[in-house]
Amino acid sequence: MAALEARHRELSRALHPDRHAGKTPAERRHALGKAIEVNDAFRQLKNPLARASALLASLGHAPVDGQEAKPPAELLMDMMEQREALAEVRQSRDAKALDALTASIEARRDATLSALAAVFAEPGTLSAPRAAELMGELRYYARFLEEAGAIADEL
Amino acid sequence: MLLDIFDPKAPPKAVGIDLGTTHSIVATTRDERPVALTTCDGTALLPSVVHYGEAGQVVVGRVAKSYATREPQRTLASVKRFMGRGAGDAETERLSAYRFVAPKDEAEAKVVRFDVGGRSVTPVEASAEILKSLKQSAVDQLNAVGGCVITVPAYFDDAQRQATKDAGRLAGLHVLRLLNEPTAAALAYGLDKKQDGLFAVYDLGGGTFDITILLLDDGIFQVKSTGGDSALGGDDMDRLIAEEMLTKMGCASAELHTPELVSIALDAARQAKHALTDQSTVEVQLPQRGGGEATYVLDRPHFDELIAELLERTGRAVRRALRDAELTAESIDGVILVGGSTRVPRVRSYVGEIFGKEPLADIDPDLVVAYGAAIQAELLSSESDEILLLDVLPLSLGVETMGGAVDKILPRNTTIPAGAKSTFTTYAENQTGFDLHVVQGERELAKDCRSLARFTLKGIPPMPAGMARLEVEFFVDENNLLKIEARELTTGISQHIEVQPSYGLSDEEVEQMLIDALDFGEADLEARRLTEARVEAERMLLATNKSLATETDLLSADERARIELAVAELKSAIASAKKPAQIQLRIDSLDDATHEWAGRRMNRAIKSAIGGKVLGDVEQSVEHAQGVEAHLRAHGHLDTEAGSDG
Repeated sequence: MAALEARHRELSRALHPDRHAGKTPAERRHALGKAIEVNDAFRQLKNPLARASALLASLGHAPVDGQEAKPPAELLMDMMEQREALAEVRQSRDAKALDALTASIEARRDATLSALAAVFAEPGTLSAPRAAELMGELRYYARFLEEAGAIADEL
Repeated sequence: MLLDIFDPKAPPKAVGIDLGTTHSIVATTRDERPVALTTCDGTALLPSVVHYGEAGQVVVGRVAKSYATREPQRTLASVKRFMGRGAGDAETERLSAYRFVAPKDEAEAKVVRFDVGGRSVTPVEASAEILKSLKQSAVDQLNAVGGCVITVPAYFDDAQRQATKDAGRLAGLHVLRLLNEPTAAALAYGLDKKQDGLFAVYDLGGGTFDITILLLDDGIFQVKSTGGDSALGGDDMDRLIAEEMLTKMGCASAELHTPELVSIALDAARQAKHALTDQSTVEVQLPQRGGGEATYVLDRPHFDELIAELLERTGRAVRRALRDAELTAESIDGVILVGGSTRVPRVRSYVGEIFGKEPLADIDPDLVVAYGAAIQAELLSSESDEILLLDVLPLSLGVETMGGAVDKILPRNTTIPAGAKSTFTTYAENQTGFDLHVVQGERELAKDCRSLARFTLKGIPPMPAGMARLEVEFFVDENNLLKIEARELTTGISQHIEVQPSYGLSDEEVEQMLIDALDFGEADLEARRLTEARVEAERMLLATNKSLATETDLLSADERARIELAVAELKSAIASAKKPAQIQLRIDSLDDATHEWAGRRMNRAIKSAIGGKVLGDVEQSVEHAQGVEAHLRAHGHLDTEAGSDG
């Protein structure tokens, strides 16, 4: 991730519109177009899910859209419980409980991310269904954390 | 004004302007150090107050402020809070001494209009008066002013930014850039301290609050996240105190709030607040309703209690910004205080508590933003390659979908310039028009977000529902201003849409104001446009000649001949043109002739920048990422779109 950010800064140094303020309109347009592309790529690559999908596709696997892999029943049950807990926190406006809940899901997300990284570590023996399963899990965590964030803003 | 650019005796200096809620400042650089210029008041700080006299005369600054309690309705203060706002906006309902013009129609309702003694004034016009005064001070001291950078709160939305740009234009300024205030402050500190690391800028001004987290790395200032509240500041502290004072005066009920009374209370409240910066208690004698005097006592503990809720709101924004940047408070290396309201002792201790470290305030918090703006103006004018600012989109951009929900197209804190595409389809048989409503904000429902533009894509050929593919492209440029393009993919019909902002002034209105304000006749305006076209043409010739001198190797003989012909034609147009369009035509053909060459030069520049890596690699990863995004979006699985179906 640090390498990605450094690369982004390096490319921005060459392409940012500020670098081309005194050039001709054509040059400014080219620079702007390229700068937008670079920023767009950066935005996608920063997102672990989008990055994992891109990696899978680049390794020749079918794209993952979250439809084909049915999430395990335990995960569904578990996430439903977590969501109920979140709804309760929202009712009771208990910031401490919200922090604890957020931290526990973040820890699980991080564990899943490590597992996903391990799957990708050996491209030769990569199991696409396993990756898809983990990505499905990540999607649930991401949604949960986004909602938890929105509730934190309200409290 | 513009002609001064060619004045050989005095090279024009770029300036930075902090157009603040309570004060405005103009600064420039001398020997690479920022300095604030003296305003017409004889000080660096010009009160952002505009007074409209009965005889039609306009004064700004301290003199204008002296009218505030005597003629409150003719005296506009804190107009920044109304920039880009529509009539009936929540801001117009708050405790203030103003009267507003009731809008005659829907078009008029897009912009707040103050009633100043029967004259209708928009916030853009009032801001332009402040800018004109600052410009005049700068001209007096520097002989000639080149481009300028105007700062805006990071949390300003598109309409508020457009309004600020319009004000600059109305004041006759060449606006190089709108710069976010916290980024400006970081620039001033970063260059002063020459220290890399993660910084948080806590900016509590008169009317706005911003929090920005940024990384300084070898001359690059990269904004990680930004957040805040464009209607929260020191004015709100004044209001809380003023309400207590009005109660003490026996005038608690709103019917008794005459503009004069409210103005007096707000003024007394502000003075009490300032006194509490150095004292622990302040006593104010207040006239009472029905005669007599009452003593109002305010001490620090009670004041701290009054503003606790306001500070809590800033704390929430800080936590969110940290979360967006995926950072913790402990990882921040330094906290920078900006804005006059950070002088309040409780604000300082509160910031210290959040970050667990003593905040930095060694550059005057009132001047630091203008300093940063001056530095950026100089950098942009001199095309320096040592420093670069990478800023972000402060609020998510999206479109309203069926059912009133928001489909986010670009999430907040995306690095700008940015672009994104989204595809829509028709929902009725033979539908020939498609309505798009563009909104900005974080809420789930479009009605809770800020409406930026509504428009209809017309001319879709009749076809079954769901067959048309409407591709809408959003661009956010380096000024954080939005442009939209739409096309229908199956037929290739392309439309560049003129986005009519839901809020703000149309181009025609701004033109009309220019004519009115500067007393230009139509002919004068044409002459002014001709001058501007000449300046633009000269700039273009300069840039083209520079490239012709150094990068001819990328040019075929044919192309070279074509460019030289276009150059000659543009030169003769500059000399003989009577109408701006004649010059513009030649500018366009030179632009056309150099287009492909510019692309080649750009590619070479990129190759050298990325140190030998093949550009194809970069482009491939870009395309790849876009493919992934399109796919995820088509299936509704992009996590920014996550709804409640999980």
